[in-house]
Amino acid sequence: MIVELGHYALVLALALSIAGAALPLCGALVGDRRLMAIASPVSIALFAFVAASFAALTHAYLVSDFSVRNVVENSHSMKPLIFKISGVWGNHEGSMLLWVLILALFGALVAAFGNNLPMRLKALVLAVQSMIGTAFLLFILTTSNPFLRLVPAPVEGNDLNPVLQDIGLAIHPPLLYLGYVGCSISFAFAIAALIDGRIDAAWARWVRPWTLTAWIFLTLGIAMGSYWAYYELGWGGWWFWDPVENASFMPWLAATALLHSAVVMEKRDALKVWTILLAILTFSLSLLGTFLVRSGVLTSVHAFATDPTRGIFILIILCLFIGGSFSLFALRAGTLAQGGLFAPISREGSLVLNNLLLTAACATVLVGTLYPLALEALTGEKISVGAPFFDMTFGPLMVPLLIAVPFGPFLAWKRGDLLAACQRLFAAFAAVLLTIGVGLVFAGPSKALTFFGIALAVWLLVGSLSEFAFRIKLFRAPLGESFRRARGLPRAAFGMTLAHGGLGLTVLGIIASTTWNTETITTMKPGESVTIGSRIVTLDGFLPVSGGTYSGTAARFTVREGGTTVATLAPEKRLYQVQNMPTTESAIHSFGLSQLYISLGDVKADGTTVVRIYFKVMILLIWLGAIVMALGGALSLSDRRLRVGAPKPARAGAAVAAE
Amino acid sequence: MEPMLQWILMAAMTAVASLAVLVPLGRRPADAEGSARSIYRDQLNELELERERGLIGEREAEAARIELSRRLLRPDATRSTAEGGGRRAVIAGFIVAAILLPAIALGTYLSLGSPATPDQPLASRSTVSADADIATLIGKVEQHLRDDPGAGAGWELLGPVYLKLGRFDDAVRAYGNAIRILGSTADREALLGEALTSQAGGLVTSDAKAAFDRALRLDSKNDRAAFYEAVAVGQTGDKDAAIAAWKTLIAGAPADAPWLPVAQAELRRVENPAPGPNAADMAAAAGQSAGEQQAMIEGMVSGLAARLDGAPEDVDGWARLFRAYMVLGKPDEATAALARARTALAGKPDLLAQVEKAAADNGVGAPKP
Amino acid sequence: MTRKQRRLTLIGLAGIVLASAVGLILFALSDGIAFFATPSEIAANPPAPDRRLRLGGLVETGSVVKDGPKISFAVTDGKAAVPVRYTGMLPDLFREGQGVVAEGKVDAAGNFQADTILAKHDETYMPKEVVEALKKSGEWRPEAEATGPEPKSVTR
Repeated sequence: MIVELGHYALVLALALSIAGAALPLCGALVGDRRLMAIASPVSIALFAFVAASFAALTHAYLVSDFSVRNVVENSHSMKPLIFKISGVWGNHEGSMLLWVLILALFGALVAAFGNNLPMRLKALVLAVQSMIGTAFLLFILTTSNPFLRLVPAPVEGNDLNPVLQDIGLAIHPPLLYLGYVGCSISFAFAIAALIDGRIDAAWARWVRPWTLTAWIFLTLGIAMGSYWAYYELGWGGWWFWDPVENASFMPWLAATALLHSAVVMEKRDALKVWTILLAILTFSLSLLGTFLVRSGVLTSVHAFATDPTRGIFILIILCLFIGGSFSLFALRAGTLAQGGLFAPISREGSLVLNNLLLTAACATVLVGTLYPLALEALTGEKISVGAPFFDMTFGPLMVPLLIAVPFGPFLAWKRGDLLAACQRLFAAFAAVLLTIGVGLVFAGPSKALTFFGIALAVWLLVGSLSEFAFRIKLFRAPLGESFRRARGLPRAAFGMTLAHGGLGLTVLGIIASTTWNTETITTMKPGESVTIGSRIVTLDGFLPVSGGTYSGTAARFTVREGGTTVATLAPEKRLYQVQNMPTTESAIHSFGLSQLYISLGDVKADGTTVVRIYFKVMILLIWLGAIVMALGGALSLSDRRLRVGAPKPARAGAAVAAE
Repeated sequence: MEPMLQWILMAAMTAVASLAVLVPLGRRPADAEGSARSIYRDQLNELELERERGLIGEREAEAARIELSRRLLRPDATRSTAEGGGRRAVIAGFIVAAILLPAIALGTYLSLGSPATPDQPLASRSTVSADADIATLIGKVEQHLRDDPGAGAGWELLGPVYLKLGRFDDAVRAYGNAIRILGSTADREALLGEALTSQAGGLVTSDAKAAFDRALRLDSKNDRAAFYEAVAVGQTGDKDAAIAAWKTLIAGAPADAPWLPVAQAELRRVENPAPGPNAADMAAAAGQSAGEQQAMIEGMVSGLAARLDGAPEDVDGWARLFRAYMVLGKPDEATAALARARTALAGKPDLLAQVEKAAADNGVGAPKP
Repeated sequence: MTRKQRRLTLIGLAGIVLASAVGLILFALSDGIAFFATPSEIAANPPAPDRRLRLGGLVETGSVVKDGPKISFAVTDGKAAVPVRYTGMLPDLFREGQGVVAEGKVDAAGNFQADTILAKHDETYMPKEVVEALKKSGEWRPEAEATGPEPKSVTR
């Protein structure tokens, strides 16, 4: 009964989303306030039904109801609880349901907390959101229905792909989807503004918190995914320029640009058309990502299924929404009023530069991702675009951006003073020169490029701190005065400092871990040792391991430093019986910000095995930086000025209740 | 009861969905709404705060204030127009909510859903049935027996229930108690033997044989005991004796005896032995402990299942697998095997038909109520 | 600066950034990508030593020689075989007779020096490129695809 009720809730959600798309849109077009007022309660009900449906599917997974085809194909009664739950979205159907759940969640949030929105704008935004919901609910129900039944029910399920049986999978997709799908709100705002034909600074103010929310989750999701690939795939790499990774990275680049251009729009009423375009672009890239991952045009760990009808359906959705929104943009962009003039050297100018470089970098990633597909479709020739391509294109575009970042906050709106900005960045210049000097003296000119990279990271870090120090007049005023000023600073200012500093940390982590990474591949027998830097790694022996649906061998390594044991690691080689699939579970131990990473080859009968040992210097900074960036975003979001919702204590559905 | 409840809940959900549209339609929309002006007013306040804290210069603050004031004075374009469509819009909304929405939902659901399929969580499908009535009944009787272990009738009642649920150890204990308290009868001895046989995974052990012997001494016409005696003869590996035993049994059986088809199938099997464990294996099995026998039997069954997965065209093999599972008291495994056979033989309807028949003969995949 | 000048500065800036992006892409596309090649293609037409390639085919049965972390094997498409050298750990699903994709360069001696080896993601998956390489050489046997065990349940 629960399964069928879940199925029915999903169907009802489809019907509601159609009503929620059509009625408020008509209301906004003919100017009927009652029809517009429908948008909020329908959006909330839509979320409730999708959530009920998702809960029903989760319940089926928890009790191993093998009369549900989706459960049979992706679960197993012996699987640990956490993977039964994460298995819900560890497959195509379930992950699409999660996608729609998050879409509906964002719609409901706008409905509940968007009381400071003009009614017409709110109705249009929610209508657009419902249209996206309609398309994807139709997609789920017609091509990827997770509620199809199987009678008689098999006794046991097929288990989840072992690579996906990981705590990372439990967290990574929901985070990433919150980011991906969160971009739909800024898209909906953009389309609403285009339909409305009006746009002004207030629009940016309304959109920014939503974009920021999506951006925070996208940042965390990408970082999480990268860490998951790092420890699960056993190659020690943390970014592969895999098309699926690119698919999540492109919306992030576009959303970052959008975040910055929305600031200009809010403060200066400028860059309006460009901001609208970016909002459309960001969500289009999210949809493109969904298409690339779900259609099966790419083969990768993430491509759960390769079903042509699904691919074509998503392609149609893609064309409809991207094509439709760009046509609307072409039609209406001319009618939007321009405003706000500024000099090239100004805060606006620096944000324009930021936008140009980010979108150009995004374009190179897009080309690198789609070029092989296009070339194969056109000429049949197969190529692979990997790290070398992106190192050559994305890298050079990022360098000027990273150099420019610390300047931006020092430039005034409208007309800035570059010289004054340089003077205030004196400390950062000094730190950079010091870094390069130290590098040249100790490592010699051969490592110049590395120290250039390190210097860039130092520049970002010290630069963003300088800005903060300048604002609170650190060392130029008594400490008490500085403290008072720091308390008076809006949280958004702290947020920016953190975000830019976090970027510096990530850059530092990337440069340090790629440059000073040591990799040792060797054959080892129990009792043998390998020296990694100052540490001695000894293979003690092998132990059998088993759990849930796998069994395998763990190797125990002891790490000694100066005679004392500092760590033990136990990488595993597992065989998942149901799918007859071997996997490698690497073991990682952190020394400060650096990590020792051991991964195991096949164990031969005589007890020898190939061992791959990495020592990754400061690698944790890569993800730590991303977390700091997200923290900065969250701090900024908590700023009273950006906070979603009206200042008055009105609550959800106030438009309905206030009578 | 549950199907009814399901439809009631679905109707309630539909009503909630319709009301989400109807309620706002029926009200006069509130006048309170956000507007761009409130944002500009906020911005002016923030500007004032920043000026007070000295975060922004007086000149810049003045310029910004002028610009914000200009925005504030602009006619508020974001404010929505007065009531428009009026009655017609309300009627359109009403039609959508009250007619189209339920129609779309129900229509889509009826074409996609399986309203008649109940939930089948694993816990309710493994050996113990989730049938709440039986479970409570057992619970009650067990409670009663804990208080009064001398109530033989209770044990006699529980025996067949345990047997059906596959709780063979309990079944053996229950029958043993019933015989001890109520005295030995042919039926009770035969049932005890059956429970012992089931406990040993379908093998008539010496304890079971003794029980059947006692039953036949009490009533030489006891069908159950006679049947298992024949099984026991077959399990000694003496082919001729087995054929003779089965023939005697079949000859003396009433035409409507439920076990008759099984006996006939057994006879056919003994007469035309299919590849499988030979007499020596069986003899060896006879000398093993009950646990070893069970392990051996299960090993043979899983070997057969694996072989059939690789070469599914073996109709007789499937028939033997179904029988083995049913004899071992694993009807779920048998159902699963049937499902695998259906998949593997999807392209060979003639073979599949034979397998389906063999399954039906063995009572596999009987539709659940 | 006049309004026009400001606008021109902006457009100029945008032009510079776009032009450099396009330039970088074109440069990288000529140098930073790897073409896919089958063993027959490499045998018939040996590529330049510094050309990055992706070699796809089946691991020739009996060709795998392991010397600690140093591994050599041959990739074949049924018509020609290319010797591959690789140092490192092989993917979990690397097997003789199974599909594989190696990325690297052909050295002067004609050996393929691989720096990345990709194998199947699971028992039933064959890299798309390998399938097409085998189809090209006529060695493709669809039934070879389903060598894994039967799925345990009824569906699929």
